[in-house]
Amino acid sequence: MPLLAMRLAAPSILVDLQHVPNLSDIEDRGDHIRIGARVTHREIERSALLADRLPILSAAASHIAHPQIRSRGTFGGSTAHADPSGEWPTILLALSATMQAVGPHGNRTIEADDFFVGPFTSTLRDDEILTHVSIPTTRTAWSFQEAAVKKGDYGLALIAATGTPRGGVLVDPRVTVGAAVGSVTRLVAVERILTDEPLTDELAEEAAVAAAESVKPISDIHGSSDYRRKLVASLVRRAVVELKNGA
Amino acid sequence: MKKLDSHQHMTTPVIAARSVGTRVLRSEDPRLLSGRGEFIADINLPGQLHVAFVRSPVAHARIIHMDLSAIRDADGVALAWSGQDVAPLCEGLVGEMAVEGCFPTTMPLLAKDEVLYVGEPIAVVVADSRYAAEDACELIDWDFEELPAVTNADAALAGGPVANPQLSDNLGLKGGASFGNVSEAFEQADQVVQGRFYTCRVSAAPMETRGVIADYEWASKGLRLWSNTQMPHYLKYMLTAYLGFPEQGVEVITPDTGGGFGQKAHVYPEEMLLPLLAREVGRPVKWIEDRRENLIAGAHAHEQFVDIAYALDADGKITGVRTDALGDGGAYHMPPWSMAVEPWCAVVMTPTGIYDIPAAEYTYSAVATNKTPVGAYRGVGYMAGTLARECLADDAARALGMSPFEFRRHNVVRDFPWTNAQDIVYQEGSWLETINVLEKMVDYPAFLQRQSELREQGRYIGLGLSVFVESSGESTATSQEHGLGDVYHDTATVRLNPNGTANVTIGLSAQGQGLATTMAQMAADTLGINVEHVSVQTARSTSHAYGSGTIGSRGAVVAGGAVARAADVVREKVRLVAANMLEASVDDIQLTDGLASVKGVADASVSIADVATSIYFDTSSWPEDFEPSLEATQAYDPAQAMFSNGGHAILVELDPETGFVRFEKVYSVEDCGTVINPNIVEGQIRGGVLQGIGASVFEELAYDESGQILTTTFLDYGLPTMDVAPPFEIHHLETPSSHSASGVKGMGESGLIAAPAAVLNAVNDALTPFNVVLRDLPLTPQRVLKAMSGELSTAQQEATSTQGETGHA
Ligand SMILES: Cc1cc2nc3c(=O)[nH]c(=O)nc-3n(C[C@H](O)[C@H](O)[C@H](O)COP(=O)(O)OP(=O)(O)OC[C@H]3O[C@@H](n4cnc5c(N)ncnc54)[C@H](O)[C@@H]3O)c2cc1C
Repeated sequence: MPLLAMRLAAPSILVDLQHVPNLSDIEDRGDHIRIGARVTHREIERSALLADRLPILSAAASHIAHPQIRSRGTFGGSTAHADPSGEWPTILLALSATMQAVGPHGNRTIEADDFFVGPFTSTLRDDEILTHVSIPTTRTAWSFQEAAVKKGDYGLALIAATGTPRGGVLVDPRVTVGAAVGSVTRLVAVERILTDEPLTDELAEEAAVAAAESVKPISDIHGSSDYRRKLVASLVRRAVVELKNGA
Repeated sequence: MKKLDSHQHMTTPVIAARSVGTRVLRSEDPRLLSGRGEFIADINLPGQLHVAFVRSPVAHARIIHMDLSAIRDADGVALAWSGQDVAPLCEGLVGEMAVEGCFPTTMPLLAKDEVLYVGEPIAVVVADSRYAAEDACELIDWDFEELPAVTNADAALAGGPVANPQLSDNLGLKGGASFGNVSEAFEQADQVVQGRFYTCRVSAAPMETRGVIADYEWASKGLRLWSNTQMPHYLKYMLTAYLGFPEQGVEVITPDTGGGFGQKAHVYPEEMLLPLLAREVGRPVKWIEDRRENLIAGAHAHEQFVDIAYALDADGKITGVRTDALGDGGAYHMPPWSMAVEPWCAVVMTPTGIYDIPAAEYTYSAVATNKTPVGAYRGVGYMAGTLARECLADDAARALGMSPFEFRRHNVVRDFPWTNAQDIVYQEGSWLETINVLEKMVDYPAFLQRQSELREQGRYIGLGLSVFVESSGESTATSQEHGLGDVYHDTATVRLNPNGTANVTIGLSAQGQGLATTMAQMAADTLGINVEHVSVQTARSTSHAYGSGTIGSRGAVVAGGAVARAADVVREKVRLVAANMLEASVDDIQLTDGLASVKGVADASVSIADVATSIYFDTSSWPEDFEPSLEATQAYDPAQAMFSNGGHAILVELDPETGFVRFEKVYSVEDCGTVINPNIVEGQIRGGVLQGIGASVFEELAYDESGQILTTTFLDYGLPTMDVAPPFEIHHLETPSSHSASGVKGMGESGLIAAPAAVLNAVNDALTPFNVVLRDLPLTPQRVLKAMSGELSTAQQEATSTQGETGHA
């Protein structure tokens, strides 16, 4: 909408998904939860099911703008928009979610790793729509960190970290960064440090250093890349400490 | 400086306070809070067309060619004009300040030869709908040759590329003055503290953007112009003076207005164009500014550098002050306030603050740059001046090893009336008491204890103090005493109705301040009737009372004075008739609590309602030779400059990992003389302080080196929200003015004037362990984090220089 209002986009055709059926549910499918593209941020924020099974979503939803925007903005819209500052892209990448798309050539699933490929760019084709996102519920260790100047602002840096705890360690940690970078990215160096290692304050520090070294932050009027690098390091440290305490 | 001759309209009656001083609920609120307000966007005239502007995308360029034929051919377009088309109708608006050393500019309604800033209107389109108008704007065909963009005030001052060909050396203002023996003070100083402070470019960002509707009736030559202006009468004058509309046929209508804060106290090209367009197309035309336009084309504000130095003697007393202000003015003088108002006010108004400094010297300049013109915004100039004076006071306190309270107490003016170095008389004030009350409110010893305990844990809190004196109740006297040529006066009309109720009309338009409520209180007490029996119409139309504008913390003082004077004329009529009815002497009749009673005679009274009824319907009640009109219009203008005072202490915490500044609490002390309505005064304090917090930490209109503005939405321009608003503790002191009605002083601007200094001082207090002092606004997270990382720690030393060295820029 803002793109249209500011005359930055002038599409000749607008497709309204309002009347497409089956896009508005949050469904428990056992080892994963399926969320329809038209579910609003507000519905996610208030879902008892998600609060129980995927609390990272409930926690992150309240960081998206203000209640007015959350009541209108949709999960699918934000995901398809692939805004590097978006909470959902950052989190879906960390949760290893699967996108479901449909088009004239049928259905297709796309892994999060293959979905967000650049700033405001996904691998959805022009003739496809996103219908659902499937999110595994096995990654029960999680942390979401956001540095925003004021509540409701887009973050200056976002960190999402998840993993499956087994025997006191995380076997498959995923750590992603949003907002501080040109497009949402995994911090592979950090993931490597956390894999199969008991989480300690020292490890958190090591992870923070690795994050600072590996992240390639953007620079704009809200913060230089140097500043954002510091933010990323500090959010990664906080995330690991939170994983430790929660895992 | 020049003292004003005294005139009849400068005296006000003595009033017995009844509703004045109480928390009367705002009469505006039921309507406004339930969505029943009528703002300019809500107004639609039959047959109206819609206006959109093409605005320059470049900061500085020569227009080589412009062709609007594609626009004119577009669907739904009724008219399109370029600068060439409009120039014969109006050359432009002359802007200057009535002060020595101000060099005027003429701002065209639409750029004709050169564009001078991003956002400058270059063409205007009238169409069936706003959509059609905006679509057509995109069809403009023009070529331009880019010229060097001047975006830096220091560079502009040094000469170099010219920003506006009308100002060949980029100077829009240059001047200064010296009072007392300043050189001696600095030569003999034990030490000198100095610094350069920067207040960044901000926008008043009123919740409601600007808007104009024009309707011209060719048969009667009548022009009705709706505008959410703060200066309807001035706008009316401009419409007749510049455009030639017959004065007697022009009406300016100001509907409900969602905030102005000075941004709407200018006359803009858009306001002058709409009437011309309406006359040309023969239909009403409407323009509602969008937020992007507001951020790039509504007056910008506050950007300036203030260099200040205090000479300190061995005893820690300030013996002299030197101030230099350099305003980054943007491309033109925006009438009427101009680019001069910001730096001029910063140094000329209250140049010694609350301190008893015998010698003061100031210089000021404003330079043109290729940015949006800077105009007035709440606390214009006073904010930057207070920031420099109050933050340098903390530097001095640090240099002397004194607490900020101690240093201020040591230097504050204690005896009133006090005549400052400029020979301006400050009749009264509670300056010392403000310091003492604030120190108590914050429980300073307990704060220091907590601060040191938290530091042990790696947490950094800071307390910042800002004590201010504010010139308020903007008047002819204030202006002329300070060497400015502005002339003001306002009128009010009061009518007592047959049942003893009153209708009041004032010449000031309201933007949400609650003027209708406070003026009802003033009228009610003067007439001796219940405040609920008074209805006030603020200037919704220039057809009624006359006003010089809702600006300069003058509403309560000036409209209040006019209302009291007009009500007093009516009161005298009521007393005459009551005396006749009660067979008593007029001198013994008093009007209070709805009754006209005889002083000292317990049950000799008649209700004011009965007196009013009798005046209308019972000639037998009249004294001999009576004139029965119960309606009076009177003017008011304060006899001399008037100063309110107060202070804020703001408590912040810095996050050492993000650099975020969190606001924990605001303590405010306000002395605006007699408080008409504490609710309204407190609302003004809260709003003003929050704007000050915004201007210190969250807000900045940013430009790149090519003069491109980077903050064109609220995504990038960060206004403070309720989430960052801390709790307030507010304490009222009341030192009535010696000469205003009821002793009221103005205070509408005080929050924004004084809060930024408190914020900067608080942040610097929190930064003490890092041995660094910041002086530039805004205090972005990045800047704060840098300061906390030790990368800036030489700044502390820059604040002081050795004895005898003035080092003044
Ligand atoms: C003031 C404001 C503040 C905001 N703050 C935040 C914030 O803090 N964090 C955040 O993450 N977001 C924020 N947003 C964005 C908001 O959350 C919306 O989700 C976002 O604007 C998308 O809106 P929408 O869901 O209505 O999708 P739309 O605007 O309808 O669509 C967005 C894009 O995705 C495409 N699209 C939409 N649905 C599909 C689909 N099913 N299949 C394929 N393509 C599709 C559209 O074609 C379009 O290109 C903010 C927005 C505003 C206006």
